[in-house]
Parts: sequence; C-alpha cells; structure tokens
Amino acid sequence: MDAIVVRDLTKAYRLGVGRARVREMLPWPIDTAVRRAAPRWWTRGTFNALEDVSVSVRAGESLSFIGHNGAGKTTLLRLIAGITSPTSGRVSVRGRVAALIDVLVGFHPELTGRENVYLLGAIQGFSRREMRRRLDRIFDFAEIDEAADTPLKRYSAGMGARLGFATLTALDPEILLIDEVLAVGDATFQRKCMGWLDGYKAEGRTLIFVSHNLSMVRSMTERAVWLEHGRVKGDGPVNDVIPDYARAMEQRRDAGTPLTMQSMGKLVRASGVDRWGVGGTRVSHVHIEEATNPYQGLVISITYEASDADEAVFCVAFVDESGRDVGSASSSLMRLRGNGGSVRCAIEPFPLRPGVYFPVVAVVTADGRVRDRWRLDRAIVIERNGNSGVMRDFGPVEFAGLWSDDNA
Amino acid sequence: MADPLAKRSMRRLFSYRHLIFALVQREYQLRYRQSFVGVLWAVFLPLATLGAGSLVFKGIAGVRTEGSSYELATLAALVPWTFLATALSLGVGSVVSQRTLVTKLAFPRQVLPLGMVGVSFLDLIVSAMIFVALAYLVGDGLPATVAWVPLLLSIEITLVVGLVLLGSAANVFARDFRLAIPPLLQLWLLLTPVLYPLTAVPSRLRAWYLANPMTGLVDSFRRVLVAGRAPDRNMLLVAAVGAAVSITVGAWYFAATEKRFADVI
Repeated sequence: MDAIVVRDLTKAYRLGVGRARVREMLPWPIDTAVRRAAPRWWTRGTFNALEDVSVSVRAGESLSFIGHNGAGKTTLLRLIAGITSPTSGRVSVRGRVAALIDVLVGFHPELTGRENVYLLGAIQGFSRREMRRRLDRIFDFAEIDEAADTPLKRYSAGMGARLGFATLTALDPEILLIDEVLAVGDATFQRKCMGWLDGYKAEGRTLIFVSHNLSMVRSMTERAVWLEHGRVKGDGPVNDVIPDYARAMEQRRDAGTPLTMQSMGKLVRASGVDRWGVGGTRVSHVHIEEATNPYQGLVISITYEASDADEAVFCVAFVDESGRDVGSASSSLMRLRGNGGSVRCAIEPFPLRPGVYFPVVAVVTADGRVRDRWRLDRAIVIERNGNSGVMRDFGPVEFAGLWSDDNA
Repeated sequence: MADPLAKRSMRRLFSYRHLIFALVQREYQLRYRQSFVGVLWAVFLPLATLGAGSLVFKGIAGVRTEGSSYELATLAALVPWTFLATALSLGVGSVVSQRTLVTKLAFPRQVLPLGMVGVSFLDLIVSAMIFVALAYLVGDGLPATVAWVPLLLSIEITLVVGLVLLGSAANVFARDFRLAIPPLLQLWLLLTPVLYPLTAVPSRLRAWYLANPMTGLVDSFRRVLVAGRAPDRNMLLVAAVGAAVSITVGAWYFAATEKRFADVI
C-alpha cells in the first residue's frame, strides 16, 4: 500500500520578495479562471521549484531525497507535509505525518519547554491530556528534565533541537519527514536519534529523510530519490543512486560547488584546509591512489620537507561529510631524512564502506606535538570495495575478518 | 455555508479545538508575562475610552441619555465594542505574526485568528464583570432583558470571526490590512453610536447609521442591559445579515487562499 503518492507535481514560487501582488490574493475559483484566461501574466516572475515530479512511497519504506542545494528537496518535503500546496499535480498522503523541517519546529522563545511541548502537540492535533502522558518520555529522551520550566530562549541550540526531535517523535507519526536536522546537536544525541529511527523503521513505519550527508543517507534509508533542478534525476536503491549522484557532483566541481570530490583513481594535493601544527616538520604533499588490485585498497604517500626532528609518527585519517572522524592509520615512530623524504602507507583491504570521505594527514613527533596537520580539500568517493556488502548499513567500517568453517 | 470548502474546513477545525485553546492560553501566558497589572489591562481600555467619551460627548457636546447615567449606558456599548476592536487588532496580524508556525508546520491556519478572537473574548468577560459590578453599584442592577445577551453575543462573534478571517488572510498577501486597522477602528468608533446614543444622531443621517451592523448591535446591548427594553427588530436583522455575510465571505476567502500562505508570507 502506498503511504505517499506524488503525481506530476509542479510547484512554482515567485521570484523576488517584498511586493504585494493582486495575483496572489485572488481566491479560488477566481484564480483558476484568471490563470486560464491569462496564463502568461499568471506565470510571469515565477520559477518552478519542482517540475513534473512523481514519486510513490510504500508504507514502511525508508527513503531519502538527495540533491544539491536548491534542487527542491525541502520543497517536496513541505508539500508532502501539507505545509504548502502544489501549483499543479497531486500529493496524497495516508497516515499521520510529522515533519521536522526545522530543529526548533515552531517553538516560541518566551514559552517554557513544557508549554512549548503542549503547544506543538496541539498543533499536531493532540489534547493536553494526551500530551501529559507523553511528557516524561519526551523530557527523558531530550535529556532536559531540569530545564522543562525554563523559557526556550535560555536553551542552547542543542537542547532546543533535542526537544524538537523528542516531541515530534513522541506523537506516534506513521510518516516521519526529517530535513537535515540531525546535523545539529552533539554526536551522542545524533546516535540516539539514529537508534530511535532504527526502531521506528523496524515497526514498519515510513521515513523520508533529506540530507547532504551521503553516509547517513546510506545507513538510514534503502531508497534514494535524486532531485536536480526540481526534477527527478534518479530513483532507486541507495547504492545505485548515490554513485551516480556523486559522479555528477564531481563534474559540477568546476561550477563552484562547495563540496568537491574525486573518484578513486589518483589524488594529489599539495595543501588543504584546517591546517595547524607547531611546524618544524611539514607535509608538502599527499598522493593517494588505488592499490594495484582495483577496489581492494588505497596507497597513500606523504612527502615531507626538511625537518629539525629525527623521528616522527605519520597518520592518515578519514573524516566523513558531516565532519565525523571515521578512522585512522598511524605509523610507529619512523626515522626522518634530514633533507626531506616520503613515506607510504597501504591500507588494504580498505575498510570503509561506500561513501564520501575526506583524508587528513598529520605528522607528530615523539614529544606528542603535532608538527603539521591538514585535511585534503578533495574527498575520495568509495563506490564499492572488495567486501560482500551484505551488511553495508552497519556503520562506516567493514573489518577484514578472517572467517572459517569450524566443521571443515 | 453550503460551500463544501467551508464545510470541510469547519470539520477540520473542530478537530483542532485543542489548538485554539492552546493558542489562547499561550497568548495569555505571553501577554502578561513581565507586566505590573496583568489582566487589568483588559479593563483599562474600555474605562479610559469611557472617561474620554464622557468628557467630550457629555461634558463638551452635552449629549444626554434618557433614563440612565451616561456612563452606564456608554459602558454597555463600549464593552462589546472593545471586543470587536481587540479582536480585529490582534486577529488581522495573527497569521503573519506566526510565520514560523505557518512555514514549518501543517495545521488549519484558521486557528490563528480564531485564537485571537478567543483571547479577545476572555477580555470581554473580564470587562463585562466590571460592567455588571457597576450596574449594581451605580444603577439598578441588570434588567430581565439581559436574557437577550447570548443572542446578541452570538451575532457579534459571528461578525467578528468573519472580519478577522478575511482580514488575517488578506494581510498575508498585503500588509496594508494590518496597517489599516487602527485608523479604521477609530473611524468606525466615531461613526457608531457607542460614545453617544443613537437618539443624538440627526434623523437625516439615521438611515446611513442603520446600515452599519455595529449600530444595531451596540444599540441592542444598550437597550437590553440598561433600558430594560427588547432590541429593535429591524436593527437586529441588519446586524444578523451583516454577520452572516461577514462569516460567509471571511470563511470562504480564508479557506480559498490558505494553501498559498506558506509561500507568500
């Protein structure tokens, strides 16, 4: 059974702001009549945020909308949530929807946490009594018991976000729409939310997720709908759609997108971002390429300049798109050549699951001082690796376990 | 009200009555937070207007009311008038001022203006209690015709809800409506026999006066609360027709444009 059916959906927005327009004030059915009589005038100064979008979502499915900024992901979410209506086409939704479009949902800064929870519940159609039963659960989950009677304006951003997530999820939604909000808040709470969402999905309820974080998309949802310029560019299992999307992002690199990527192959960088360290030993460039056995591993070469230290530890680490540390490989103390030299690290098999990762290189001397450290401004996109991939949704790392049959 | 659009939104609205209560409660919680006299502000506005009216119309213009004190007769009209004025002042901007809710959550947007009418109604109850107290202190108490009040109030609420729905929806598209409210209310107050009795209006202007639904309402309130007489049938009819037109147009316009709010606001 379909929980959500979106059929030939087009949504137009006007360009520019700040002027009142007669056109917008016309009530139905006058507006449709005018639109039919003067289609040119009606559509002047508008653009289509979504165009002929059709998507259906089965009950119990988990799905992501991916695409670059302005592709129409949030607009589609808002249409499904019923916050706004289509210009043409149809959206039908079966089941109780909760939408987390904004971390602070619709909280009022002057009201206390408790008052806000009641109000948000009422907006979603719940009585005070029904909310009272859920109150403990909400404040427990959000971990803000002691601040329940403090005005929201005194909350930290993280506390507000936690309360928003906790309240909406306590309202027993059958269809949950989440827009990029899990990026806010600390990692612990993020994990807690993900854990909750796993349980939610296991109950056979529907999840729609919008995120730029492809590894999160991959782990949270089975299916991805890729939107580009308001149209559906791809729709299918995440592991089919994300590589196509990542490749397209790579091609857009020169067009000035903030996130630049490079497919596995060869990557050479002489400098990067987030650079810091006490100096004395500098990494002058980094060279990353695939191991001779394709898809099996990576070889990272680090070239360092003339150094005042005799020995150092080298480290290669990987950070995912949301900035989370995923893992690292560090050397033991290695002798440094006085005039500079290079060291090489082979990571084989490469343990990270398909996704987008930013390499970080560092050189640390025996006294524990970080001499130089920087992150590459290009990501590596792992499309697949040598692992079977059956358990691909379980965290970012696949261990190279040695398995054997005990009965053999 | 045979309009299916209006009927559908009525049904949807009823299921959101908790939200209307929650909004009224929130408005009250917020309004009197960090204030000295709190809810007494609800009494202050009609009393201050009464004082000014007494000075200008009774003291300077020499307007006389038959059979009762000017103050009591005027307050009987001012209390329902203040309800209309407060509801319009709060209500017309109510959708725009809740922009964050409108753009982030799905719910029938009617609850926002209706909540403000609810808040104004609570104010009305407070100021009505002052009137009743005065009626017993300075006058002869309330006459039996007070039984008309529920009907009169229903007509007024219907009128006010329609106007607030229309104004709050239109204000989403053009902020002029919110800006127009204070001067319009001032004009409307002067052109309605609130601070002076209808008998003080010259007969050649009477017909124009009777076209104003608030004329019939405040005059009826004054008759049933102070004079102990039944309302004038024709004047009450004008008010009822005005209220019916108001609620029909207001509910229809709101329901017909509501879906565009989140895009334009």
